[in-house]
Amino acid sequence: MAARDKEREAFVVILFRATGDAPILKQSKFKIAAAEKFAKVIDFLRKQLHRETVFVYINSAFSPNPDEVVADLFENFGIDGKLVVNYACSMAWG
Amino acid sequence: MEVGPRKLVWQGAIPLHLELHSSEVSTVPPPSPFMTLAPRHGYLPLLVDYIRPHFQSALPPGPDNIWFDYKGLPLKWHIPTGVLFDLLCIEPERPWKLTVHFRAYPSNLLTAYEGSEAAKWTFMNTLKEAAYIMYGNTKSVMNLSQSDQLELWRSLVKGDLEAYDRVAMRLRPPLPGGITKGFLSQSSSGETGVDTGASSKAGLESSFSGKIPLKIYVRAIKAAREDTVMVPPPISSWDEVVTLTRPFEIAKQQGVRSTLRDALLKVFPHLFINPPEMHKE
Repeated sequence: MAARDKEREAFVVILFRATGDAPILKQSKFKIAAAEKFAKVIDFLRKQLHRETVFVYINSAFSPNPDEVVADLFENFGIDGKLVVNYACSMAWG
Repeated sequence: MEVGPRKLVWQGAIPLHLELHSSEVSTVPPPSPFMTLAPRHGYLPLLVDYIRPHFQSALPPGPDNIWFDYKGLPLKWHIPTGVLFDLLCIEPERPWKLTVHFRAYPSNLLTAYEGSEAAKWTFMNTLKEAAYIMYGNTKSVMNLSQSDQLELWRSLVKGDLEAYDRVAMRLRPPLPGGITKGFLSQSSSGETGVDTGASSKAGLESSFSGKIPLKIYVRAIKAAREDTVMVPPPISSWDEVVTLTRPFEIAKQQGVRSTLRDALLKVFPHLFINPPEMHKE
């Protein structure tokens, strides 16, 4: 694992995309430490949107568990060097 | 009939000894502990209907929100009970002694638990994530009807492997070297399930990435000396556990089987005393 971790970027670029009636963020690209858990991304969104409940999806396909490491999500589901995170204020893709 | 290892795991259950947390005991004497068997594949809060009646009369007034802790560590509800037990229980503790809480949910440490529907939703999303790794999309899961999704969830909660496989067949990739066949024939007496699944799998075959998603829970222990064997202390914080989602590319050649060992060797080569090269002839 050590060798693989060295190859990894220390930061991951996250691209936020609003879905449904969710407000659009003024800035849609953010950098986050790759070692962080996805919970941090959700927390960040909550604060940006001033909402308690936010539904968050990767590639409009599924909601990752807050426990997952951002680096893993990026490696498995990243597109063009970014991790696309869709967010909605109500359930979008079940 | 031969009972395969998969069936044994599905039938497996963890003996639990549950005590109500002292801060929630409003009666004298306190309620007796509650003993139950928790299915390995289940999730702890799903046992609430069995557990609550036993403690109900001792609870102070207020709304219920069940959670559990082991030696002070709040247990994550989305991790299957068997995984929690294997990861956390100090051997040879039987039954596994947990504390149950119905009040003061630790929202700062655990994701909110909003009932069994939420548990099902989390499970379905785990399936979608797995499908995405295998096929690059979530169609296989999205194409399941509502009733099939419910059947999948119910069979998991009930520990009914045959019922689970009937639906899960349609989610699995076709594996080379007859792994699927061998895999399933361990659990069912006949092999009919394999045949019926073949036609609906045509689509999955073409989009299969060759990767199998693995979820690995790793506990890091800093040993004082490398050659000392020590009994690890109980986990005091979830920060000591890393959850990894790593796809593993399975062997494509006919007749070659990929083992769990192969996968772990790839993810954690440093955990194995003999590096893989040494096994090559």
